[in-house]
Amino acid sequence: MTEEPYRWLEAVENRREYVQDQLKGGSPAFGVKLPDGILLLGVGSGNSKVFELFDRHAMTALGHPADIEKIRQAAIDAAHMEAFTRAPEDVSLRRLISFGLSPQLKTNFEQIFSAPFIVEMLLAEISNTPETDLLVRLHYDGGFQFQSSRVIAVGSPATTEKAAQSWLNSNLPETTQKAEIVEWLLQAWWVLREGKSFTENFPSETERKAGWREALTDRIVEIGWLARQSQRVARYQPLSLNDLGLKIS
Amino acid sequence: MSEPQGIAIAGDFLSLLAARGGGPLKTEHSAAAPVQTQATTVFAFHFADGVLMAGDRRATAGNVIVTDKIDKVIEIDATSVLAIAGVPATAFEMARVMQTSFEYYRRSQLQPLSLPAKVRALARLLRENLPMTMQGVGIVVPLFAGLDQTVSPSQPQIYFYDPLGAQFQAVGYAASGSGSGTIRSILSFQENYGNPRPSQMNLQQAVQFTLRLLITASEFDSATGGVNPETHTYATIKILNASGIRSLSAGEQGSFLKS
Repeated sequence: MTEEPYRWLEAVENRREYVQDQLKGGSPAFGVKLPDGILLLGVGSGNSKVFELFDRHAMTALGHPADIEKIRQAAIDAAHMEAFTRAPEDVSLRRLISFGLSPQLKTNFEQIFSAPFIVEMLLAEISNTPETDLLVRLHYDGGFQFQSSRVIAVGSPATTEKAAQSWLNSNLPETTQKAEIVEWLLQAWWVLREGKSFTENFPSETERKAGWREALTDRIVEIGWLARQSQRVARYQPLSLNDLGLKIS
Repeated sequence: MSEPQGIAIAGDFLSLLAARGGGPLKTEHSAAAPVQTQATTVFAFHFADGVLMAGDRRATAGNVIVTDKIDKVIEIDATSVLAIAGVPATAFEMARVMQTSFEYYRRSQLQPLSLPAKVRALARLLRENLPMTMQGVGIVVPLFAGLDQTVSPSQPQIYFYDPLGAQFQAVGYAASGSGSGTIRSILSFQENYGNPRPSQMNLQQAVQFTLRLLITASEFDSATGGVNPETHTYATIKILNASGIRSLSAGEQGSFLKS
């Protein structure tokens, strides 16, 4: 098969369709840049969507749990080896993705005789100033984009992800109140999960507020906060809805 | 580094280092080894609000004072503190291995390392350093304080070690370094006959007591840097309790000492 370019391209295209199809049922995740930090949010089963990677780094993802876990472990291994052999300050998201995760994902995706990673990710790096914070979307095929928007959504398919991201960037109030931001993100999460449109027959605010609360019966909201200022070297802090004073019922 | 001794633990950073051919501690000794930088007074005791761990800030090489600004009490992670006594080159490397190892475990395994495992990790590093210890060029005798999170509320505990890696839990206090003889005597006296006893002291009393201990130790041990308000030279003091770790600034120490 590999000797025939057309069949190879067809096989890769088939893999792309397969991965995208598998990702459709995934629970969307979000990242928001704020003046005092970066907030990541996902809805899962606890320790399944939002993860600390290193002192200033975290990630959120959707996809197959085993694939998320493999990439998470690879990122943690690489970051800690770099910090130990050089210094914690030398661990950078740009290098971690460009020279570590992305080439591996691309190679794996194009090796048509091995199983592809079923995963879509958002990785974050907190810096000294909001201007130099990094949010990076990393895709199952190794493609990645450094994001400049305030809010980034991770979902599948790409069209609904863009619609959610656009809605949030237009409507999310300019606030630093984490509870208010989480409320908006969970509304967008519910709209995506329900497969509703962000343009036609868009649910009212009352419906959205009630919707995500009802949808959380057997799920856990995972929130990761990368603080810009902290007494500790590790800037990551897991938060719960209770910590933020958000009530489900 | 040689293969880590003992059973490899899944998620242990030393296992990762061994797998990648890296290693934190080299035990080869050259006959032309330089004069070691060492000597210290570090100690820890239980007081009413948790555990106080303190250290002087002097490093010496032979009869030379290298610096009076070294920090010998090191935050390892959110719930553990290490006080180093001995050769700093080895001790700081041990601290670095522990910092990376504990955080690596917590992040990769999605749960913190238990206190007994942390205590043994330091014992393992000391055992791996045995050749340097036996040659007399890399001895480290640290103190360790960590939070026992198996009880509610979490309780801070103090551990001390011998140079070969044996670990002991301290009931009330522990001290290490060249000035520790003086400190141990005073702590023992205070524990038995003092009023208040160290375990009954509030933060202000504990810090004042700590600074006076260091001043006394420095009078009997030239390798212990004392406390000198005139030059704004104070100790490194960290408090460990259920809320985590808090470092006391020189300003705070100064105001406690005056009061």
